[in-house]
Amino acid sequence: MVDLAYKTLLHDKVRFLITVAGVAFAVTLILVQVGLFIGILDNATVTIEHIDADLWITSKNTPNLDFVHQFPESYVDRVRDADGVERADDLILAFMNVALPTGAQETAVVYALKDFRRWGLPWDVPVGDVDDLKRGPYVLFDESAAKRFGAFEVGDYREIQSQRLKIIGKTRGAKSFTTTPLAFMDYDRAQTLSPDLLRGNTSYILVKAKPGTDIPRLERELQAKLPYNDVHTKAAWAARSRDYWIKNTGIGFNAFLTVFLGCLVGIVVVAQTLYTSTMEHIKEFGTLKAIGGSNADIYGILARQAGVSAIVGFVFGLIPSFALRPLVEKRDLKLIIPLEFTGIVFVGTVVLCMAAAMISFRKVASIDPGLVFRT
Amino acid sequence: MLAIEATDIVKTFQEGRERVLVLKGVSLAVAPGEVVALEGPSGSGKTTLLSILGCILTATSGQVTVDGLLVDPARPSRLPQIRKKSIGFVFQQFNLFPALTALENVEYALNIKGTKGAAAHAEAERILDVVGLSDRKEFLPRDLSGGQKQRVAIARALVGSPAVILADEPTANLDSQVGTQILELFRALAKKDNRALLIVTHDPKVREVSDRVVKIRDGKIAA
Repeated sequence: MVDLAYKTLLHDKVRFLITVAGVAFAVTLILVQVGLFIGILDNATVTIEHIDADLWITSKNTPNLDFVHQFPESYVDRVRDADGVERADDLILAFMNVALPTGAQETAVVYALKDFRRWGLPWDVPVGDVDDLKRGPYVLFDESAAKRFGAFEVGDYREIQSQRLKIIGKTRGAKSFTTTPLAFMDYDRAQTLSPDLLRGNTSYILVKAKPGTDIPRLERELQAKLPYNDVHTKAAWAARSRDYWIKNTGIGFNAFLTVFLGCLVGIVVVAQTLYTSTMEHIKEFGTLKAIGGSNADIYGILARQAGVSAIVGFVFGLIPSFALRPLVEKRDLKLIIPLEFTGIVFVGTVVLCMAAAMISFRKVASIDPGLVFRT
Repeated sequence: MLAIEATDIVKTFQEGRERVLVLKGVSLAVAPGEVVALEGPSGSGKTTLLSILGCILTATSGQVTVDGLLVDPARPSRLPQIRKKSIGFVFQQFNLFPALTALENVEYALNIKGTKGAAAHAEAERILDVVGLSDRKEFLPRDLSGGQKQRVAIARALVGSPAVILADEPTANLDSQVGTQILELFRALAKKDNRALLIVTHDPKVREVSDRVVKIRDGKIAA
């Protein structure tokens, strides 16, 4: 079977390259922008995702992980009494001042627990031991803090809330949406550093349910016990935190706009090149009709050309998107391109290229085969 | 049975607010194996008649039969089927697909007519051999001379063994010597397989290979 679609497409290599470049540009734009968007959002919930809790109890109407309000730490006792709770602990999350050796003041987001290890926080500690935090005025900083705080080493001291703490280790991958560096210290230490705010108070209660517990039932029971707090499942709390940043900052709209523009660029380039190509080959399509070809045959040719352009363009768009990853990471950003999203972009690319070909469908449907007799 | 028969064909076109009468009751019949030249000045309606006989246009009134099949103007969706089965076209500008080699141009026509795979490939090679182009089968149209292009076009028109070949000024873009060769080839192939051949032309050489000359003037058969 002679493949007229493919042969015609490759016959004009420059036009084909322009089409492919347009699709590839759109694919790269969408993958990279959305990948960065997902990367930023990942920072907003990375600790929620890693902490081994089934339920989070927050103060009433807390919109996201970082906009924290305190409530009495004794509430944890009511939680521990609930049927199905395996363990429950208070978690302090507080913004604290850090004095740098340069004399400058910075801020750190402090996570404080009595027992970090059993909640899986922090999850990556390349240097130091999290169990040592309770043994003295110690702190762990995430290694990404070097960007804001300057270089630091284990054994260095930093003043946090005007008290000297020794850095006994470094964590990796613990970040916040606001880019404020994360620090980890013992629960009692955190209350000591900020007594006015934290003495007798906590920011969250983490709840781990017993295996086989009906989580929605436990959620309802805890909500009834703590009517002035909110109880969220892990997934719901992560979604709430992400939604806040998406809806209340420009990043959600910005990501939407980028995807929209990427789609528009792709459609316009493919539609324009396919339409121009169709117009240039209109007499050939007339000939095809004259020798017995139907509109369906011509639609098939255009659809195949659009499909080939979409697939080749997608591949050439995918390669730079993944190649950019190391460069992005050097800038301390995350480029997360999930496989599912890649699949969606692939399907979208094919569908949009087909849609672009529809403009040419309309033109060929009205071809007068009599034009083959015109010189 | 006649290969092609047109009876009292009338064709009008709407041009703006004006209705133009192009064919005014034309009747024409071509028998299998007969070579007919259709001559006429520009604007006489010969290309319109060719389009109607080739099932590209439908007549405003009158009746057309091709290879025993009645062309029904009320069912235009059937026209591609008649073209596919019974008619081969040769055009003044050759109208080859520029991205396909000579062999592929012929093979693709076979594909459109329903023959695919190795059978189409072998048949295309055979027909190119018949028109004397087996040594140019892998050439793209841009690398062929005018005469060679027209031979490919003839080969393409012959595939599927249509009962009728319609040619529109097939020698207009060829020099005199090549034109004569093409016409002789054309006639020989039509006679060999008993195909009706209708050639629209201004070229006096066509008369020499034709069994009959039909003249059309002002939308009517003149002689």
